[in-house]
Amino acid sequence: MIGIVDYGMGNLLSVKNILDYLGEDNFVCHDPGDLARADRIILPGIGGFPDCVRALHENGFVAALNEAVLTQKKPIMGICLGMQVMARCGHEFEKVAGLGWFDAEVVNINTVNDRIKIPNVGWEEIQLNKNSPLFKRLPAKSDFYLVHSFFMKFDDDNAPEIDASYEVEGVKITAAVRKGNIFATQFHPEKSSDLGMTIMENFIDWQPAI
Amino acid sequence: MENLIRCTKCVLPETHETIMFDDAGACNICRNVEYKQTQINWDEKKLEFDELIEDYRGKGDYDCLVPFSGGKDSVWTLYYLVKVCKLKPLVVRFDHGFLRPNLDENTKRIQRELGVDFHHFTPNWKVAQKLMLQSFLEKGDFCWHCHTGIFSYPMWVAIRYNIPLIVWGEPSSEYTAYYDYEQEEEVDEKRFNRYVNLGINAEDMYYRLNGLVDKRDLLPYSYPPLSELRRIKYRSICLGSYIPWDVKKQVEIIKDELGWQGDTVENVPEQYDYEKIECYMQGVRDYIKYIKRGYTRPSHLASIDIRNSRLSRDEGMDLVEEYEGKRPPSLDLFLDFVGLSEEEFLQIAKSHMVSPHVHDQDAIQDGKKLHDFDEWSRDGAMDRADTLKQLENWHKRKMTV
Amino acid sequence: MQFLGSRNDPDDFVLVTTVNFEKIVEMGNPISQAKIFQAQMADELIFIDLSVYKGEYQRAASLEILDKAARNIFLPLTIGGGVGSVEDIRTFLNHGADKVAINTKIIENPDLLRKASLKFGASTVVASIDYRVELDGNRYVYSQAGQAKQSFSPLEWAQECEKLGAGEILLTCINNDGLREGLDIPTIREVSDAVNIPVIAAGGCGLARHFSEGFTEGNADAVSAGTFFCFQDQNIMQTRSHVHNAGVNVRIRT
Repeated sequence: MIGIVDYGMGNLLSVKNILDYLGEDNFVCHDPGDLARADRIILPGIGGFPDCVRALHENGFVAALNEAVLTQKKPIMGICLGMQVMARCGHEFEKVAGLGWFDAEVVNINTVNDRIKIPNVGWEEIQLNKNSPLFKRLPAKSDFYLVHSFFMKFDDDNAPEIDASYEVEGVKITAAVRKGNIFATQFHPEKSSDLGMTIMENFIDWQPAI
Repeated sequence: MENLIRCTKCVLPETHETIMFDDAGACNICRNVEYKQTQINWDEKKLEFDELIEDYRGKGDYDCLVPFSGGKDSVWTLYYLVKVCKLKPLVVRFDHGFLRPNLDENTKRIQRELGVDFHHFTPNWKVAQKLMLQSFLEKGDFCWHCHTGIFSYPMWVAIRYNIPLIVWGEPSSEYTAYYDYEQEEEVDEKRFNRYVNLGINAEDMYYRLNGLVDKRDLLPYSYPPLSELRRIKYRSICLGSYIPWDVKKQVEIIKDELGWQGDTVENVPEQYDYEKIECYMQGVRDYIKYIKRGYTRPSHLASIDIRNSRLSRDEGMDLVEEYEGKRPPSLDLFLDFVGLSEEEFLQIAKSHMVSPHVHDQDAIQDGKKLHDFDEWSRDGAMDRADTLKQLENWHKRKMTV
Repeated sequence: MQFLGSRNDPDDFVLVTTVNFEKIVEMGNPISQAKIFQAQMADELIFIDLSVYKGEYQRAASLEILDKAARNIFLPLTIGGGVGSVEDIRTFLNHGADKVAINTKIIENPDLLRKASLKFGASTVVASIDYRVELDGNRYVYSQAGQAKQSFSPLEWAQECEKLGAGEILLTCINNDGLREGLDIPTIREVSDAVNIPVIAAGGCGLARHFSEGFTEGNADAVSAGTFFCFQDQNIMQTRSHVHNAGVNVRIRT
């Protein structure tokens, strides 16, 4: 049973649609208490980092997510803003603390290269970590759809948590992260046709080593 | 001969669908087949298949469903599943309307040699005729009813008899790049939509025929809804994804062990007596391809042999020059079936030319009649009035060009 | 992907193709064709409801198609036709659209574009610009599905839309629409070079080469087509191969 977190900012419908298409039982978590019923969790998100964090706090999800993910070790997949919010903090408009699950900060793409047009919209060729269980049955270089101006920048550019990245104008941009039972993608698997669907299937089957 | 860019390894030209050339001028199909020959752990794949079939053995009235034409690939697939895997299949054949006499004999012989339950379905000829003409007009390919029927109809049978495992023959990556060997090619709706149905589903064809057929007439050509297929927990796979496809070896085995007999085929070198022997419209199909793309079956066959080191590229090009560019006698029958004159036929075929190829009708020679030509049924010619109605409708729709 | 009520049954919404925004030909079921385009590796689908200006407008039909599309298509989906207010946008997004394309209403009320961009993000709003090349060689924007001539050019309007916050421009040449004789490269290049947001070029593709030209000569970020796939044996994957062979960086891996 997959729980899709609804905190008022997200592309819930697309996520729900793809899970329905795959025949996977799922439900929308309107309240933090709903997380208890889920075996795995999806955290979608579209919009701004500060708004997202505020919404998560206001809806009481932060404590519930920490409990479900860090204590109960339920597999969780974050998408787009849902990935970014897992960082230590974000620098969109103002510096705001995130969930702190990854040693990284969310920064504007232009701070590492001002020639890149933002938001970066469209399909990109993403280099995948061939050993990641979330990327099995996928070519090492796969195309996915994304829309973003900010990205998760790690203190260490070669941090082991970086599961996928893409290059633009000579700069490496984090495209996916994984640590223990936590997985997240900057791109939208639910908008990336077949290859995206494979990632969803892999997440559904994923048994993280904890 | 026209100066089309051809692969530097095989002889396929730039007008072949999905072809892409790399820096060495080699095509993606050659690369894909190289991958198949060198990168796949076929032992592992075979083990995977052996495990897979155990999930289905003895669980229902039939262990699996095998879509069948009687040609070399489906015969080999059936042989393998019955003789080697010892499975109990339901064999399903969708009759496109042009099965040759030798094929019927082959089929009877195989049914008796192997011992299988056989389900044969022939769709409404009058509907098929209209579909042939319409798809020829729309896509320059008159075989829409056959493509869609062959891939849809067995799925409906699988649903009706509750047979989840459906086993097809060779994967498409042998000939085109719609899929590559790195992926698992499932024979499903995506594949159907990707290239089998020529971009037209039965529901779309209904609008394009503008009242000439009933929605029910198109059922055999409609892919079943995913919900129905999920209900039976369907799994639709290619045997060629699990065992390496080797046409020459497989043909030898089915000839020896089942008495399968090859046949001559219009405008194809005689040594290829195993290729496309099941359909007496094959010559017309090949001719249309030549008009559209500037190459046809001999290029395709030579390329396969080249990739399997049975022919040099020069020998391949010799075959191409000798055998391509000929008018098949079966065209006369096709013109009757759809009610067109030869000029109309040429005009329509030429309207589908794939750039940069340009067809030169003056260079076309006459091809030879086959031995069973007089046995092919010419019944069911289309009424010229009906043809005109469809043509008129088409011209109105096509608007300008 | 344009749709409206069928001639034989106005409640049955079918996919159509047009010529110069006039002649309408019924091609098939919108969802069936959408699934085919997805299987053939389209990068995005843009649905345009023509019933607003060409038939009997039924918002419900639009939403039904969108709902069904969202359940079967896992690609970015854009819907246009009948988007007149911020509430409309919210409705379409709730029914599965990722983006909305607005044409007439932002010409009548440019403030709508600004509001929409602020509320939903620029990436959600596509400014759809239709234009005609007149006999004197000048180009004018037309709204209301080609019926209402405006006094400004597509270049001027595109720049204004960018300022107002549009995330993308969908640029369609009415003269070339459905003729399959090629895109209007000069205008496409002029607009693409003048704005910093993605430009989707539309109207006129008839050969695979035309797609490549849209990229290499028109500098467009994307090329859109509909009629191209209707009357010949061409599918998107084949077109992609052609475009790739011409040196354009397009997605080719399935």
